[in-house]
Amino acid sequence: MSSSPVQLIPLMIVAAMFALFVLGGMGSKMRQASDYGFAGNYSGRLGSGAAIASNWMSAASILGLAGLFYLKGYYAMAFVIGWTGGYILLLVLLATQIRRFGKFTAPDFVGFRYESGTARTLAALISIMISIIYCIAQVRGVALLVSWLFGIGYQAAVVTGGALVVTFVVISGTLGVVRNQRLQYFVLIVAFVLPLMFLTKKLGYFWVLPQFGYGQAIIDLQTQFGFYWSEPFATVSLYHWLALCFTLMFGTAGLPHVLSRFYMAPSIRDARWGVVWGLFFISLIYWSAPAYGVLARLYDAKAGLAYKTPDPATADLVTLTAALQGGIPVWVVGLLVAGGLAAAFYAISGLLQNGAAAFAYDIYPRLMRPSATDSDKLTMAKGFFLVLAAAVLALSLKPVGMIAETAAVAFALAGNTIFPAFLMGIWWSRTNAAGVVAGMLVGVAISFSAPLLGGALPVVTTLFPLTSSAFLGAPLVVVVMIVVSLLTRPPSDEIVGFLARNVHDVKDR
Amino acid sequence: MDHKGTDQGINIFRPQSGLLRGEVQVIVMIMAAWLVAVVGSQVAIWYMETTLIEYWLSEIIFFNLPIHFWLSGQFLPLWFILLGVAFNLWMDRHESRKFEGTIRYRAIGRSKKEQQP
Repeated sequence: MSSSPVQLIPLMIVAAMFALFVLGGMGSKMRQASDYGFAGNYSGRLGSGAAIASNWMSAASILGLAGLFYLKGYYAMAFVIGWTGGYILLLVLLATQIRRFGKFTAPDFVGFRYESGTARTLAALISIMISIIYCIAQVRGVALLVSWLFGIGYQAAVVTGGALVVTFVVISGTLGVVRNQRLQYFVLIVAFVLPLMFLTKKLGYFWVLPQFGYGQAIIDLQTQFGFYWSEPFATVSLYHWLALCFTLMFGTAGLPHVLSRFYMAPSIRDARWGVVWGLFFISLIYWSAPAYGVLARLYDAKAGLAYKTPDPATADLVTLTAALQGGIPVWVVGLLVAGGLAAAFYAISGLLQNGAAAFAYDIYPRLMRPSATDSDKLTMAKGFFLVLAAAVLALSLKPVGMIAETAAVAFALAGNTIFPAFLMGIWWSRTNAAGVVAGMLVGVAISFSAPLLGGALPVVTTLFPLTSSAFLGAPLVVVVMIVVSLLTRPPSDEIVGFLARNVHDVKDR
Repeated sequence: MDHKGTDQGINIFRPQSGLLRGEVQVIVMIMAAWLVAVVGSQVAIWYMETTLIEYWLSEIIFFNLPIHFWLSGQFLPLWFILLGVAFNLWMDRHESRKFEGTIRYRAIGRSKKEQQP
């Protein structure tokens, strides 16, 4: 790919899409007040759902999922179910209650609920770790696309992509651009589904709903090329599949940047209905994503490569290669690339800013400089943003794994730590600071137990696989939180009363 | 619950107030429908895979898709959306009842005060 020419038309479409987002973001700044003024109406909920979906979209959704389908077939369905089913956990157990706490970040919530600076600092450190791991997955997506766009090698593309993200964040910040997530979602869904419609139409399939139309490609692969996808649980056990699926669900309900959507929802009802609309918009992407992986297999078969062993190094780019092999207009390919880049760019900038804020507001003034002013914290946030970006780029220079699987590690960490902390903090008022600190520490240990202890104790890798550790890990962390809380002093009457009255509406008796 | 001088403790397994009990019952029902759908569908697929010796699962087509692709890739996300809608409709009604209860309580309180000399 390093000898390829610069892709001029796609590059222009990428530039046009980012220009649209910047201009749209400037417009949304002016409209913001009226948007909140109509809180609770239909369009408010719809818009809130689009914002949730846009906040969720990343390179893992646009590129990674199709790559996994191409490479591993049905196994990738664990991601589809995990990344949609997790929103039910979020909806019924956390979304509205989080809104009632009136806090702004995950460490802020943990610090307030558990009345503990230590718990807050630990939650901040975990948030930073989650941001770094998730960003590494995103940078791989950016690098693959930038590599194709500019015709440069992978490592040069990592540096170029990283520089572009940082430049974009600085320009957006300087211009005071507010992220217009609704506009972004609608552009992203068009950029993702339109190429699929072109591809299925060209193949003569049912293109109006390519989410169903791609099924014909599976049949054609079987009847014309004798290619059968391996049976669902032939290569992965049912336990491991379910472990991955539930880990992704627990992680979805524990990712700090996902939870952050609910702290300032205009109203309780909007928070709830926003989740359901968000889930619908996210499902539109996931109903479509398998199609790219399947069509890429079909194009391989048509090229006489039905049984070639797919290369994991290039599998993450099958969304693009399928579009190129399908011979659709270059501007449609450009749209697809722009959509993938935009999703990854915004995911990286949001995660790095979250991580930088966790350091500047939760760690720096508590552990390093108690006398820090607001201005110091702001400067520190900007500085730490650059430090985090440099760290992520350095860690991304050598590819560590597929996009979706690297992202799954971040989900596992969130599912083992932040999710139990929020769940117990809301639904069991006896949980105290000692319990949550012990639980989160155990959660971190479980998350990395496979690479650290798996060599000496293979059973650890079986029970807590790196990408799927929260299936058993999260319940274990909950047990630790319960036991340690019961063995130590209960939380204050103030916080127990706050939880009953303000969060659960229980009247004084 | 072991709280110093308060009986307001929140425990999802032992909700104290009637309204919270109703909410927890719905949460339990939704979670059960979520869990059974996720685990049940995969156990069913695993069972079909191990018992249907003569066919590949991808030869059983439903809605133009192999049955397992349809079940996991199309139906389950739709099922989650339906569960979300059911939960929200119930919660909207539940909160309206709670709100009406608050209004009635206030109205009664005011009329008793007015009757006092």
